[in-house]
Amino acid sequence: MHLQEIVNALLLAGIYACVGMGFSLVYGVMNIVNLAHGAMVMLGAYVCFWGFSLIGLDPFVSLLLSGLLMFALGYLAQKYVVNNVIRSDILRSLLVTYGLEMIILGGVLLAWGANYRAVTPSYFGAGFAIGSAVVPYLKAGVVVMAVALTVALYLFMGRTQTGMAIKAAALNREAAELVGIDIRHIYSVSMGVGCALAGMAGSLVAASYTITPSMEGSYLSSAFVVAILGGLGNTMGAIVGGAALALAETLGAVYLGMSYQKLLGFVIFLLVLVLRPYGLVGRRFYAEI
Amino acid sequence: MRKYSYLVALSLFLAVPAVVSGYWLRVLTSALMYAVLAQSVNIISGYAGCPALGNVVFFGVGAYSAGVLMTALKLPFVPALLLSGLIGAAYAAVVGLPILRTKGHYFVMATIGLNDATRELVNNLDSVTQGTRGIALPLPHTGPLDILTFFYLVMLTLLVVVVIATHWIDRSRLGYALKAIKSDEAAARAVGIDTTVCKVFAWAVSAFFTALAGAVFAYWMTFIEPHVVFDIVMSVKMFIMLSLGGAGTVIGPTIGALLLELLSEVVWGQFPQVHYLVLGIVLVAVVLLLPEGVAVLIKERPSLAVYRQKLQAGRL
Repeated sequence: MHLQEIVNALLLAGIYACVGMGFSLVYGVMNIVNLAHGAMVMLGAYVCFWGFSLIGLDPFVSLLLSGLLMFALGYLAQKYVVNNVIRSDILRSLLVTYGLEMIILGGVLLAWGANYRAVTPSYFGAGFAIGSAVVPYLKAGVVVMAVALTVALYLFMGRTQTGMAIKAAALNREAAELVGIDIRHIYSVSMGVGCALAGMAGSLVAASYTITPSMEGSYLSSAFVVAILGGLGNTMGAIVGGAALALAETLGAVYLGMSYQKLLGFVIFLLVLVLRPYGLVGRRFYAEI
Repeated sequence: MRKYSYLVALSLFLAVPAVVSGYWLRVLTSALMYAVLAQSVNIISGYAGCPALGNVVFFGVGAYSAGVLMTALKLPFVPALLLSGLIGAAYAAVVGLPILRTKGHYFVMATIGLNDATRELVNNLDSVTQGTRGIALPLPHTGPLDILTFFYLVMLTLLVVVVIATHWIDRSRLGYALKAIKSDEAAARAVGIDTTVCKVFAWAVSAFFTALAGAVFAYWMTFIEPHVVFDIVMSVKMFIMLSLGGAGTVIGPTIGALLLELLSEVVWGQFPQVHYLVLGIVLVAVVLLLPEGVAVLIKERPSLAVYRQKLQAGRL
């Protein structure tokens, strides 16, 4: 395996980890599979594209903007929509999040159309070399940002009052309410953080690849795969899941050919789901098995 | 009384091709197809309570089975149709044994993953399925009927069969077992129900009818592509119809399907660019405002207070 493939796998792993973390967080706290997650990634990518094409905003600056916007969107969606069905049958929360995804997709199609778009800042294409591999600055920046986001989430969950309240709500909703945690607010914040992570992951995607509205489907399925590989609900496990999926896809492309890349991801996903539903590194605790 | 209303509805549907033609017959055929799909998903999701959000996978399998059987093996329509249904059911039984062991959200994601994996497989098995280029089927031979009437009647027949099957399941031991599994699987196992066999059988029946609809669709359209017949939005529409009409009822899914398809044709069918947006809004509205679908409203005539209580039950 060449050095260049390892570099590419690392880049992909960073993006996948960010996509998976938000998805896993939302599931772990509220027991919701957010089917709008892929659409949030896509919307984040379009915020990045718009910032760049309208006012020439650097993708790493507009990352914060898409994070903030997606936080607001996720907070409102949870507060006014998802919180209303969260205690009934899981089918209703699934359908309501899919409804949100269709609204976002429809909105983006209306606003930007179905064409492929790209973000190309001045340093696009430039890079440095490690041995025989070329590392574009843009992609190196994406990996650094992915690591930074992971660390930031870790610190937020462990060191801040809100983060600890989220953890408490995830462990036991009634007990958290008894000690005075406003559960509606905390759920909305959790959805906001999950969506912000999705939006920022979307910005990283826009900085690395061309984007199109229909990308939401493939990022939703990668969120599934990453979260399941890392243990559904296990936020930090998403890093392992992201790395595993990226490695499998890159290796698959090298040894089986590009066309089998996606299939390999799904096959691994189904195998892990059936054989180790608590993930590659997870404990049984997280699974509802 | 109920039996008569079914017969009246059926004779009305049979009279349709004599009255309407062209565009509206096509719309109605498509609505009937969705009714078949919603009825099928009702068996596994409405009765057994397994939210098979990726159920469209059997539609694709049925469509592709029909496509391959009719082009590569040159089978006529009827044997190809029945074989496609059986292939769909067999596929559900084989993948169902491992996948139905997972529960709740895990099952949902597994079925979506199954649909994606199967679509990718069809894309890649170029020698059999012609990959992303799609398959062109032979042009329909419809005997004395014109094409539109023929497919309308085929879909109507399929719908009648699936409704009768649902009616039978509703009253049978299997139906009671499935309802028991839905309300508490561990308890169902404790009273001696073989939950695995029941769930696999229910999924195979559901897949059989879904695959039949897919096969008819393929012959009707005469051209199929992986991204069209494995489209997850189709699955989501089945579930909107299920929620609109009432999950776990005999005729609810059909009511939901006819309502949604005709509504969408009249209200926003003329503006394809907002289709996704409006469908999403309808979905959110149905889930938020109709906790148990319209079939229940007709059957039980609940008061405003009961309705409020049901809405409140899901709130945080």
